[in-house]
Amino acid sequence: MLILEFLVKRIAQGLLIVFITSLIIFTLLRVVPGDPVRLIVGGMAPPDVVEKVATKMGLRDPIIVQYGRYMRGLLQGDLGQSYLRPRSGMIAAGGQYVDPTKSDMALVTDLILERLPFTLQLGGMALLFALLISFPVGIAGGLHQHRWRNALAFGMQSLFVSIPNFWLAIVLILFLSIKLKLLPALGYQGFSYVILPALVLAVEIAPFIIRTLTTSLGEVMQAPFIDEARVRGLSRRRIVYSHALRNAAVPLVNLLGIQLSTLIGGVLVIEYIFDYPGLGNLTVVSVVGRDFPVIQGIAITTSAVFVFINIIVDLVAYLIDPRVEI
Amino acid sequence: MDLSRILEIDDLTVGATTPGAAPILDHISFSLSTSEIFGIYGESGAGKTVLSRALANWLPESLEYRAGRVAFAGHDILGAGAREVRIGRDIAYIGSKPQSSLDPTVPVGVQIAEKLHSVRPEWNGRECRDRVMQLLGEVRIPSPKERYWDYPSKFSGGMMQRAMIVDAICAEPAVLIADNVTQPLDVTIAAQIVALLHDLCMRHKMATIYLSSSLPTLGQFGDRTAVLYQGRFVEQQPFEELLASPQSDYARKAIASVPRMWETAEGPLARRQAQGEAPLMKVENVHRTYRARKRGTFNTYSNVQAVRGVTLDIMPRENFGIVGESGCGKSTLTRLLAWLETPDSGSIVLNGTSLGALSSRDLIRKRNEFQLLLQDPYNALPPRTTVGRMIEESLLIRSRVPRADLRKRVIAAMAEVGLAAELYDQLPNALSTGERQRISIARALILDPKLLILDETLSALDQREQGRLIELFSKLQEKNDLTYVFISHDLAMVRKVCTRIAVMYLGEMVEIADNHDLFFDPQHPYTKALLSAAPTLEEKPFDPSDFLLEGEPPSPIDIPAGCSFASRCPKAFGRCRVETPRLLEHSPGRFAACHLLDGDHAQAAA
Repeated sequence: MLILEFLVKRIAQGLLIVFITSLIIFTLLRVVPGDPVRLIVGGMAPPDVVEKVATKMGLRDPIIVQYGRYMRGLLQGDLGQSYLRPRSGMIAAGGQYVDPTKSDMALVTDLILERLPFTLQLGGMALLFALLISFPVGIAGGLHQHRWRNALAFGMQSLFVSIPNFWLAIVLILFLSIKLKLLPALGYQGFSYVILPALVLAVEIAPFIIRTLTTSLGEVMQAPFIDEARVRGLSRRRIVYSHALRNAAVPLVNLLGIQLSTLIGGVLVIEYIFDYPGLGNLTVVSVVGRDFPVIQGIAITTSAVFVFINIIVDLVAYLIDPRVEI
Repeated sequence: MDLSRILEIDDLTVGATTPGAAPILDHISFSLSTSEIFGIYGESGAGKTVLSRALANWLPESLEYRAGRVAFAGHDILGAGAREVRIGRDIAYIGSKPQSSLDPTVPVGVQIAEKLHSVRPEWNGRECRDRVMQLLGEVRIPSPKERYWDYPSKFSGGMMQRAMIVDAICAEPAVLIADNVTQPLDVTIAAQIVALLHDLCMRHKMATIYLSSSLPTLGQFGDRTAVLYQGRFVEQQPFEELLASPQSDYARKAIASVPRMWETAEGPLARRQAQGEAPLMKVENVHRTYRARKRGTFNTYSNVQAVRGVTLDIMPRENFGIVGESGCGKSTLTRLLAWLETPDSGSIVLNGTSLGALSSRDLIRKRNEFQLLLQDPYNALPPRTTVGRMIEESLLIRSRVPRADLRKRVIAAMAEVGLAAELYDQLPNALSTGERQRISIARALILDPKLLILDETLSALDQREQGRLIELFSKLQEKNDLTYVFISHDLAMVRKVCTRIAVMYLGEMVEIADNHDLFFDPQHPYTKALLSAAPTLEEKPFDPSDFLLEGEPPSPIDIPAGCSFASRCPKAFGRCRVETPRLLEHSPGRFAACHLLDGDHAQAAA
């Protein structure tokens, strides 16, 4: 029942966090310079048209009223409609006039649900690659503290941490995609399009995993119970894989929860570079176009994902080590 | 060949891998027959642990075998026979650190069954589990079926040592190596473990090597005993004869240094209270309860009642002892006395000033007068700070002292506690426990305190070093007019240095009396049990088997109604389970909390 208690408590906390995030994003968007209406109606529109549209859209109401209206929609699962994207999929901007108050604009919920799977796929693959790279290196480094394997782990993490992701992205596109024609790079027409961006993201998170794994495994290997396991008659393999790694995993799992934010930051840049149709790409375009409802929707979704994954992380940490307070 | 010789050690020499280093074990030879118990005495640093590890082919990486043979039933386990003999199955080991011997993230029973299955693959998982559960019951762990699934952190030290005994004997080893197994345990628990282990060795017919730094503990086994000194056996004979006529000087000294509690010159006399003299520290009805969140509930807390209404007067220049076993609230009381924590209710008055009434600035100044010395000098000292810097720090916190003056004062303080002035600029890593403890003392002393609170300060030291520090303490007391509060579980030490002693059980004082009275005529059954279990080489003034306690103290979360000792007391009667006895002065200067005494009193009056 402890786990149930934990879940109820953490989900309640999580909802509060999402609520606060939405409030902050909502307020900040309306306080920073840049009027979305001006972008919608176009630079040439007379001021009275701007005012008219703005009033009609409710953008001249006090922020708190706007927020209330927004929250009411949110509770019904309605994140509003995009200012810029019509249902047809084209981006409305500049010259042609699409009435943003009419219902022919795309629903934010649809936009996000359409993009989210792509981003989750990218993030998942990136994590998988990162684990595949760091586990062998990190475990070898942790087990052999003063040997070349530790030096390798250290060298690798130093190298990876100093490579800027956008640079690596461009270099990989140039070599693997253009020169060698091994992998496709831009857009998305199938699973193979995930590999390159996921690799770049993996290189970004791998060093932290390697570092945590080497140090925590190295520490656990010094623990008396590991030493004593030998005289109790356990085999080396059993000691390392079912006891040392298990104990070393707790800090690692916690780190993964935190690394998620790096991943989200990385996704923005990487999706844009690879023109990958995920949430990150949508975010960049929406921010440029001052598409408030979409930005808000993405912020809420991201914070919900973040909260959810951290709940999972804490739960996993508890399941591994019962001493962890949850 | 003689098969009854289960273990033969020939000329075993072990040393560091660095060439030229002196050997740690020097030409050790002995042999062990089936179901024989062989005791090895050695003080810390004599090579006991290295020997026990060497016998199990389990040397740390920094050590190597230089010569010799360890043969198990004729197979040389260091050479050709290594494949025939399986460590963990044929030779089992129990160490002195039960709490850190198992993986903290896996239930205890599961780990023992895992070990059993990996050394005895012919037994299937179910058999292993059943056997472990049955053995957990056999070592008297209550409700073994449930405890099987508990994690190591849920086990007390004594329970964990029982579990480790199961771990060692479950695979039916022919040889058991027990390295100082009772060292970390409380006396009443240690007495139980020793009796248990002895019984198991007999019943399971295991040849047992019992290494200990305590002669009295070895005496409870009473068999052939060797004395290990600087990596060599200096002597080997049956325990009784060893005691009666030790052959070597070292053994003679070791026997002489075993503390005597009863056949000893009188300890420091009780310091009689001068007329109208005020106590230095007055502790009045202090309580301390910790709130711990109850697992598996939303918002309920359980109250851990660590200290429950303690009242004490500590007189100037007296050595006041507080004894009790782990979990009795000693440490909490220490923290309260040192004002590291404030009591929930009650007050502590030092030299006329109530500590609770002081502002935080005044408190820092007042703290000069009472200083705390901790048990573990390894964790108490910052590792990357020079010795001088550590000692002067407490001065620097309180006042501006010129540089040159500072050094002079620090070196004077160091000289006073017997530390060489050269240590001033050194880091503490190479220092011994005794030297580290001296640093702690110098650190406190430099503030010119009136009261020193010593929390198990001497228990990490061996007998010799302990003796030297006790001497130092009494010298300092005369010179600086100090008052000491010794908090300890070590009865012999308390007997040697304290004038007045309080016995604590489950957060309460059950008896307070002068040194002699407490040891020769204890009033409370718990005090009697504690004294009976104390490891000494002497005849006790009462029959220990009368007072051997079963079980462990109740949890401070669910303290039973009535007398808190009733659940273990061999003399408990109806009233004890209903009414809590109060600490009363039954005869002048002798306080005890027990209904039995009431009866006497009533009868005497009638």
